[in-house]
Amino acid sequence: MDAQKVISSGIIELYVTGMATEQEVRELEAAMLQSPEVLAAVEEYRRSLEYYVAAQDLPPDHAIKDSLLNQINNLEASGSAQTCMSSTLPGHPKATLMEETLIPEKRLSWKVVAAAAFILLIGSIIMNFFYYKKWKDFREYKDKYQALLLSQNSIMSTNDKYKARLEELEQTLNVMEDPAVLKVNMPGTKLKPDAVATVFWNTQNKQVYLKVNNLPEPAAGKQYQLWAIVDGKPVDMGVFEMGDTAKLLQKMKVTDKVQMFAVTLENKGGAAQPTLEQMYVAGKIPG
Amino acid sequence: MDSSSTYTEQELVNGLRNRNQKIFSYLYDQYSSTLYGVVVKVLNDHASAGDVLQDVFLKIWKNIDQYDEERGRLFTWMLNICRNTAIDVLRSKAHKLDQKIQNITDDVHIGNEPLIVHMQVDHLGFSKMLERLSKDQRNLIDLAYYKGCTQEEIARVLDIPLGTVKTRMRTALNHLKQIVKNIDK
Repeated sequence: MDAQKVISSGIIELYVTGMATEQEVRELEAAMLQSPEVLAAVEEYRRSLEYYVAAQDLPPDHAIKDSLLNQINNLEASGSAQTCMSSTLPGHPKATLMEETLIPEKRLSWKVVAAAAFILLIGSIIMNFFYYKKWKDFREYKDKYQALLLSQNSIMSTNDKYKARLEELEQTLNVMEDPAVLKVNMPGTKLKPDAVATVFWNTQNKQVYLKVNNLPEPAAGKQYQLWAIVDGKPVDMGVFEMGDTAKLLQKMKVTDKVQMFAVTLENKGGAAQPTLEQMYVAGKIPG
Repeated sequence: MDSSSTYTEQELVNGLRNRNQKIFSYLYDQYSSTLYGVVVKVLNDHASAGDVLQDVFLKIWKNIDQYDEERGRLFTWMLNICRNTAIDVLRSKAHKLDQKIQNITDDVHIGNEPLIVHMQVDHLGFSKMLERLSKDQRNLIDLAYYKGCTQEEIARVLDIPLGTVKTRMRTALNHLKQIVKNIDK
């Protein structure tokens, strides 16, 4: 750009008063480097404005200089300490400048540290509270879980019990419904006319089952025993339990042939020969 | 301003670069009043002006290595640091808020002028020569230089067209240049 054109454009006046746009500043500074004429013109306006500024001077408080010299002393003290430390590294004279610019931040740093610590503390308290709640919830859930586990176990065991019971009932039913099974009613004798028991005899595999319909509880040390009468002779079919088990079909011994079944009350463990006076029920094979 | 009988400008610059505190003390004695005048004119506030002035001199001390003789005199460089620092403070939110509060409490002084630039002028011992500039011309220069207003802002504040701002600024500065020339003669 032509130097005179730049000078008369009015851009210099805007530049020295700080009113020029960024682009105008770039253009003018480029022109200043190229043309001493432009540079001189800028310098003339600058001096005028600086005169204007200097004419409005105002002495600052004396304390400011002392404070300033103090700060600079401190800067130099920490700066030279830095220089000592880095003196083993030759050829880095400018490294100290960076350190020095950090000093004012250092002066402030305890505030920053305190603020950061406070924020961390608050954060920690919030986290503590949060995790304490979580922990409490967890404890509660743990208790509930254990209670649930317990009840689940008890349900499972009950379930198992019912399952076993059902299986037994199914077995019973299977036995009863088997067409090969012969049902033998044994009504009560004179000793106990209302007593009833039933024998199921599988004619194919010769297995004998017993179902107690109604028998009085035996005295302590006594046990009922089932007998098969084969060709006029009693054959031991085994002793059996009363109580809950008695309600189900109980598996007894096996017999090839039989004409009659009977139950006698014997000493615990059973006897070799039936005590006929203690015969409670008896029934013949039908047909 | 550069009437240093003891040191040349080059000696000042070298002294600062060598971290010479005696030179710094001398520099302060020579320039602190001028720079403080700028800070006070920018901020209109003596309370914070002292802190800003310290900041300015600390920047000069720390950043002397960034000063480039090729681009202008040391005083121009220092003045730029001072003006920029003070205007940054002026623009910072905290200061604006302070000013607002002050404006509310000192409502009497606000008057009808949109921006009070000349509040301090009378007791500054304004040079008689500069009084040859019209009040409007001084106001225009002050808005730009001390308040950092853009052309658009000045146009809005003074309620004149943008083109007129440029023309009046040229007239004002050329008038100032003429005045200074006459003084130097």
